[in-house]
Amino acid sequence: MFRQSPRFDGFGLGLRRPHYDEYLGKSVAVDFVEIISENFMVEGGKPLATLDAVRKRHPVAMHGVSMSVGRHDRLDEDYLDRLGILARRVDPLFVSDHLCWTGVDGVNSHDLLPLPYTEESLNVVCRNIDQAQEALGRTMLFENPSSYVQFPESCLTEWEFLAEMSRRTGCFLLLDVNNVYVSAQNHDFDALAFLAGLPAERVRQIHLAGHTPGEVLIDTHDRPVCSPVWELYAHAITLCGPVATMIERDDAIPPLDDLLAELAIAREIAARIEPGAA
Amino acid sequence: MLGAAQRSFKNLILDEDLPLPPVWDAKAAAGMAIYRNAYRLRIVGALGETFCRTQRWVGAEPFGQAATHYTILQPPSSWSLDHIGAGFPALLEDLFRNDPEVAELARLEWQMNQLYVAKDAQPLDQSAFAAAVEDYSEADWANLTLELMPGLAIEPVRTDCAAIWRALTDNTEMPQDVILKEASALIVWRENFRCVFRSASSAEAHALSLAGDAASFAAICDAMVIILGEERAASETGTMLGRWVQDGMIAGIAEPSSDLLHARDADWT
Repeated sequence: MFRQSPRFDGFGLGLRRPHYDEYLGKSVAVDFVEIISENFMVEGGKPLATLDAVRKRHPVAMHGVSMSVGRHDRLDEDYLDRLGILARRVDPLFVSDHLCWTGVDGVNSHDLLPLPYTEESLNVVCRNIDQAQEALGRTMLFENPSSYVQFPESCLTEWEFLAEMSRRTGCFLLLDVNNVYVSAQNHDFDALAFLAGLPAERVRQIHLAGHTPGEVLIDTHDRPVCSPVWELYAHAITLCGPVATMIERDDAIPPLDDLLAELAIAREIAARIEPGAA
Repeated sequence: MLGAAQRSFKNLILDEDLPLPPVWDAKAAAGMAIYRNAYRLRIVGALGETFCRTQRWVGAEPFGQAATHYTILQPPSSWSLDHIGAGFPALLEDLFRNDPEVAELARLEWQMNQLYVAKDAQPLDQSAFAAAVEDYSEADWANLTLELMPGLAIEPVRTDCAAIWRALTDNTEMPQDVILKEASALIVWRENFRCVFRSASSAEAHALSLAGDAASFAAICDAMVIILGEERAASETGTMLGRWVQDGMIAGIAEPSSDLLHARDADWT
């Protein structure tokens, strides 16, 4: 029996290097912080010492970008070992990654690449999630990615794929509302249908972020959350109830107070939503 | 099926000249352009962060060309972006053959970045070292081996890349003549969480390198006799050891083996 991912309905931010000193020097008004796991899968030094100090003050969620759960072959066992070492050190709220693959034949693109939503992909992804959850001894969360290409051979919608993946493996979902919006715009599907098609009770965390507008929307995490994404977030909370929510900013990182002000918007929206009112 | 599809997709990202599948429409082509562009920007950007001083020294455009070339020659294989620059200094050595300081500066940056996340350890301070060797016999000294601080690196240099580093860090005037009169080395190590380096003679670098390979102090002394001559080796090897301890480069020393202790006991009885 795996250790289950708990329900947690706080509001958090990503721990990013420009804000390390503030997290160490004062009490930051967040209910949890999220780390990029790979940045701390190291032997020692300041990053781990900072993480240890932050962990004493806040619950931590571990969010990975390199598991490559959609790769056609088995997961990298060295990677899983190192992830497990970090998880034992941090005792995190959640361990998450993305529904994607990052490379093949020994090449890592360091991007979250899209999958065709087929039965074969589903079998591969579920097999790999089983491997990861067994290695970690706990359930994981997997996030819906933004995508810029879709495959004609797909026979499932993304939300059908996520729902079945969660049902088969027992994994939970990390709902990235901005990614739903970006992919819906890029691939002409209904974002509300995406949300309605997810098993709401399996969603343990929500991500909010900004994207770059254009002919194809790009998930850049370099600007504030836009109005349509806030509206979609309100709808998601209506469906899922209170869920751990955080704002992701990975580029053009503003002062911490700016992100806390943006997080306050999420708190306000969640506070006025009545679950099940959709 | 999935493996073949992923291989094709990866090849399309890595090689911008590969034609897209004929069934792909303009929208899919626009999407692939995003993946292709993001890949290059991400890898070149990561190299620019790891080698930020080298980038400033050579200029953004030449650095970008070198980084793009590197991305083609050695696509990343590690799960961490922090690992991708391991072979970049060697490529710079090849690309900037007339400017040897470029690769040496890049190697220094690479070692400093590796050190930043090296395993933690407490250095042996002078009093602890003195206490540990207080009762050493001549045989104990001969068999003494040192454990260097994790991540400590020794980089041979023939240019003053250290001065370039400092000028770039402090925004002061760049050195004009960067070729050293005599080849030397830089020792790179970490003081608590601060990564530092200092210059060392080739002899000291060789001695420390031997220590890092678990050579006995006697073997180090023998090597120094060959390089420095008997008289200088006798005085300078001990001085080197004292400075390594003083600088916080030594994490520990191996205890004398039990055989030696027994032999010493036997001598005393």
